[in-house]
Amino acid sequence: MNTDTETRPTAARVEPLPPEARFSLRARAHHLDRISEALWVGVPRRIGDIAENDARRAVCLGPDEWLLTLPEDQGAGLKARMAEIRHDAPHALADISDRELCYRISGPGAAQIVAMGCPRDLRALVTGRAVRTVFDGASVILWREAEDSFRLDIWRSFAPHALALVETGIEELRAGL
Amino acid sequence: MSYRIPGRGRVDHADPVRFTFDGKSLKGLRGDTLASALLANGIHLVGRSFKYHRPRGIVTAGSDDPNALVETSRDSGRFEPNTRATVQELRSGLAAESQNRFPTLEYDVGEVNNLLAPLFSAGFYYKTFMWPRNFWDKVYEPVIRRAAGLGRAPTEVDPDHYASRYAHVDVLVAGAGPAGIAAALAAARSGASVMLVDENSEIGGSLLSEPGVEIGGTPAWDWLADAAAELEALGVQVLPRTIAMGYYHQNMVGLCQRVTDHLDTVPANAPRERMWRVRAARVVLAQGAQEKPLVFDGNDRPGVMLAGAAQTFLNRFGVRVCDRGVVVTSHDSAYHAAFDLADAGAVIAAIVDTRSEIRDDLRSEARARGIEVLASHTVTGTKGRLRIKSVRVNPVASGRVLSPRTLFCDALLMSGGWTPALHLFSHTKGGLAWDAEAQTFLPDRKTENCEIAGAGRGLWGIGAALADGAKAGAEAAGALGREATTPEFDVTTDRAGTGRAHEELPTDRNPSRVRAFVDFQNDVTAKDIRLAVREGMRSIEHVKRYTTTGMATDQGKLSNINGLMIAADALGKTPPEVGLTTFRPPYTPTTFGAFAGYHRGAHFEVTRKTPIDPWAEAHGAVFEPVAQWRRARYFPQGEEDMDAAVERECRATRASVGIFDASTLGKIEVTGPDAVEFMNRVYTNPWTKLAPGKLRYGVLLGDDGYVRDDGVIGRISEHQFHVTTTTGGAARVLNTMEDYLQTEWPDLDVWLTSTTEQWAVVALNGPNARKVLEPLVEGLDISNAAFPMMSVADCTVAGLPARLFRLSFTGELGYEINVPARHGLALWEALMTAGAPHGITPYGTESMHLLRAEKGFIIVGQDTDGTVSPQDAGLGWALGSKKADFIGMRGLQRPDLVAKGRKQLVGLLTEDGAVKLEEGAQITAERDAPLPRAMIGHVTSSYRSPALGRSIAMALVKDGHDRMGEIVYIPMENEVIAARIASANFYDPDGGRAKA
Amino acid sequence: MLLIHCPYCDETLPEAEFAYAGEAHVSRAAVPSEVTDEVWRDFLFYRSNVRGPHYERWRHVYGCGRFFNAVRDTVSDRFLTTYEAGAPKPALTDLEGQK
Repeated sequence: MNTDTETRPTAARVEPLPPEARFSLRARAHHLDRISEALWVGVPRRIGDIAENDARRAVCLGPDEWLLTLPEDQGAGLKARMAEIRHDAPHALADISDRELCYRISGPGAAQIVAMGCPRDLRALVTGRAVRTVFDGASVILWREAEDSFRLDIWRSFAPHALALVETGIEELRAGL
Repeated sequence: MSYRIPGRGRVDHADPVRFTFDGKSLKGLRGDTLASALLANGIHLVGRSFKYHRPRGIVTAGSDDPNALVETSRDSGRFEPNTRATVQELRSGLAAESQNRFPTLEYDVGEVNNLLAPLFSAGFYYKTFMWPRNFWDKVYEPVIRRAAGLGRAPTEVDPDHYASRYAHVDVLVAGAGPAGIAAALAAARSGASVMLVDENSEIGGSLLSEPGVEIGGTPAWDWLADAAAELEALGVQVLPRTIAMGYYHQNMVGLCQRVTDHLDTVPANAPRERMWRVRAARVVLAQGAQEKPLVFDGNDRPGVMLAGAAQTFLNRFGVRVCDRGVVVTSHDSAYHAAFDLADAGAVIAAIVDTRSEIRDDLRSEARARGIEVLASHTVTGTKGRLRIKSVRVNPVASGRVLSPRTLFCDALLMSGGWTPALHLFSHTKGGLAWDAEAQTFLPDRKTENCEIAGAGRGLWGIGAALADGAKAGAEAAGALGREATTPEFDVTTDRAGTGRAHEELPTDRNPSRVRAFVDFQNDVTAKDIRLAVREGMRSIEHVKRYTTTGMATDQGKLSNINGLMIAADALGKTPPEVGLTTFRPPYTPTTFGAFAGYHRGAHFEVTRKTPIDPWAEAHGAVFEPVAQWRRARYFPQGEEDMDAAVERECRATRASVGIFDASTLGKIEVTGPDAVEFMNRVYTNPWTKLAPGKLRYGVLLGDDGYVRDDGVIGRISEHQFHVTTTTGGAARVLNTMEDYLQTEWPDLDVWLTSTTEQWAVVALNGPNARKVLEPLVEGLDISNAAFPMMSVADCTVAGLPARLFRLSFTGELGYEINVPARHGLALWEALMTAGAPHGITPYGTESMHLLRAEKGFIIVGQDTDGTVSPQDAGLGWALGSKKADFIGMRGLQRPDLVAKGRKQLVGLLTEDGAVKLEEGAQITAERDAPLPRAMIGHVTSSYRSPALGRSIAMALVKDGHDRMGEIVYIPMENEVIAARIASANFYDPDGGRAKA
Repeated sequence: MLLIHCPYCDETLPEAEFAYAGEAHVSRAAVPSEVTDEVWRDFLFYRSNVRGPHYERWRHVYGCGRFFNAVRDTVSDRFLTTYEAGAPKPALTDLEGQK
């Protein structure tokens, strides 16, 4: 990990994020109000939008798919509340807390690091949005946390590969050419 | 002697740079290219040609040079053939070597090819490399290929690394000459994000060679400095040393940026080159035009150079390319090269003009400098072995070539006019139109959102280029909804001109003796093109391939139009009737490194690793790739080879207990009120009656009825299944399920989630598996009665939350323990500790394959090949025949699938148990039937079985199920092996061990 | 690399996020066991392989995950339109103007 505090326009750093509870939620649109109540966070309807309520976040990844993230100690409670509404509001709630590893790439050169492996136009991914996309051949969820800060959720087994590119990129930016 | 003019050009006269050429130490200046530095040292001869090994010199000042290809090296491993001396910037210590010569550039034995030239006429390869057959190996490849090679391939691994980047901009401007700069400024001033790229080391294009021009009263180079400052202030991303190498769909342009080749020392971690994939809303092509050579006898001699190149070497690099030059031209522009050189102290012996009418101002300027102008003349030959010494010129009157005279010189500067650089435009399949007046093709019908500006669409002169560039930049901005203005440019001393295009110049000599080159690098002459037409080539594409004109590394930049003019003349057609050959990316030769980018070495491709991978690595596992995963294949101890390790692993598992990392198995959580209905429709088996807590082996077909995947599936609750798939099939199976769910059965309330990586999975197999596991389990009775074969339950294992499967892929008592992936390694280590008293033995994929083969369990993709039905595979029992439908159910009724004669999966036992069959070997019914013998099947799996003490195999054999006990034959190279067809369930056939 | 408009995300995105999924509007019989061998053969194997506008399926696999339909000109490699799975097949005459 690179922990320097360079501020030149090309500097970037990467850090692993601490574990959290993560769920994949699938449901039909007409049950979302009921589900939002149980989640304690309103699920967004537009793909790429993130809703947040007191450290619980819901990211709309597809027309019927959401990523839920919340503090680790709240996972069991969420599961229990959702189980109660299973008959009223059919859905799938899969625990994927261990499926991905998550990293933050930040610094003035962060967008360049992402652009080494992601073909998306990052200008269109404005702060406060997150999408599933591809990074160097691996499926990732890419969050824009700030103008110069991205979060990358990547399936665990792909992480060494993706991280190797990120580290290479940071060194490349440091060379300044 | 130095041909450098003190103080002149954009080189730094205060910063000398040492380099070597063919071992000789030379001096150049910072800002030189290798070519300009060589010319400053009076060196024109830089290489030998591809076919005839003729001495060749520098022809152009840019990336289009066909001759100036040299080998360059920086240090060990950093060696590159075919570096263009006109592109390579001089750096301290640069070592350059000429190519295609032995022993030296001056005395090359390969030059004998030149005397054999009549043998190497058009279509030489097609006519010669035909017969006899054994000449391929003995003569053509070893001798002719080597003699005709282009440079040497590097022998060491390239130590450099290469980068790549995606970029998105509003406007990409390719080419930073006057048109490109004006376009970038106009677009950027409107607020658009702009990227401006140029292949040269600095922006400026033709302005770098025309310092005498004034723009709005400002000298060109001062204007350029102002423009560069404004581009920076506007935030334009300016990339010099960057070639726009390909123009792809929907305004994606590939750029190759040279990052470190010009540096004396390379900073750590800096990439040598960077490939950019730029998506631009609008593209402005401002790549200018390329000067054409004239085609005449001896036009390839060192010292024969394009007039515009001589002008660039003089004005940009401060190098006078000759003491005494002759100019031959069909275009006005060459006059200015002559004037500039004369003003710099060179003698211009004459300007030979193929045209009869010459502009008065050019005549009077020549007269003022004492330069003789020879109108209506042709060039009919040159002399000089390693450097031109004289040129033979003749007047032409009424189509007749009159008597010659000889002009002595040390350089001949030629200009056949200019061709717009159409390459990138042509990559888009844009249409071209023939401009009869300018005698050139111009861009016409556009297929992409692009503008073409300046000389690239036939507008000559700095003023026209600036105005057109600004207009293109403003149009690009306007198309994006931005308001842009187009400034006026008041350009003085602009030197625009006109000219005409030619086929080869007329001559008074015996045409069979004339060597007038069209493609310098590939040694294609005008005569070759005419011969190709005589021999029946009608399409320009055929002429190109037959003669190889335009197929050199310059991709016909110099030769295409000349070749077309000659072919058209020979065919009696107009140039537009004949047309141009297709330009294809890349625009200039591009390194493999740039294309590979980061994907080399350990990063070559995605390598997925399981949570237990670090343990396997630390314990000496030998890995194998399985789909994108790397999996432990076996765990050798001491000096064991694979066979020995596998035998030990298998014996230990059957005797006590083995442990296996099964984390790569695909896993899909199927959840929802309609989960069971969905499972009934997807898998062949019936699922309705499978109780929660139970497992079933499931088979997945395609709608054609063939086996696609299999796996053990657990019913977790009424509304949830835990599906497992093969390692390689995980993504494909989920895709198939999503496909049917989304598009065929969107009414079903069921959802699919990949949990492959949520779980780490450890398989425990062997008679002592329960003894190892039982003490670690909490919350579940795993006795045989309480937790029998094919059960699933959630519990705690070694203090970790777990989902426990009881199943067997080995024939032994077996469990698969799923834990959240972060705990995978901890679980593995806990089981290793707990199993130590029982001699727990880790095994890899090889033993897993062997153990399952002893039981006759199939591996989809090894024992099936996409044309195997479940009945063929002996899995008919897994078909839910009472169901209304499942994927593949209808396919199973297809005539071909119910016919006799299908290949069916069986076991094979060689008559001699010591003989192991080859996987893939073909099978015949008879030992000695005449050839060709009918093949009735092939071996799919074959092993030496430690448990049976003999070889075993599985095979797909025609009507195999009806041939039990029959002997079949496997013909090999030196023997025919006899084998008996048997059940593939070789070991513990009643399955008692797994149920114990 | 093409740009493809995902009708679910309502964004035009790089081809690298998508996977081709064969010809569109090839319908699977509601009750396969009732159709003839010829009908089933045509469903499995017969494709139009057109030169020009082609109705085809794509999946936004590295994105929202949805299968959708598209009309792409196989000569120019241009997308004429994309639309959600299950939506009616657009008439070519309506698409001509968008070329």
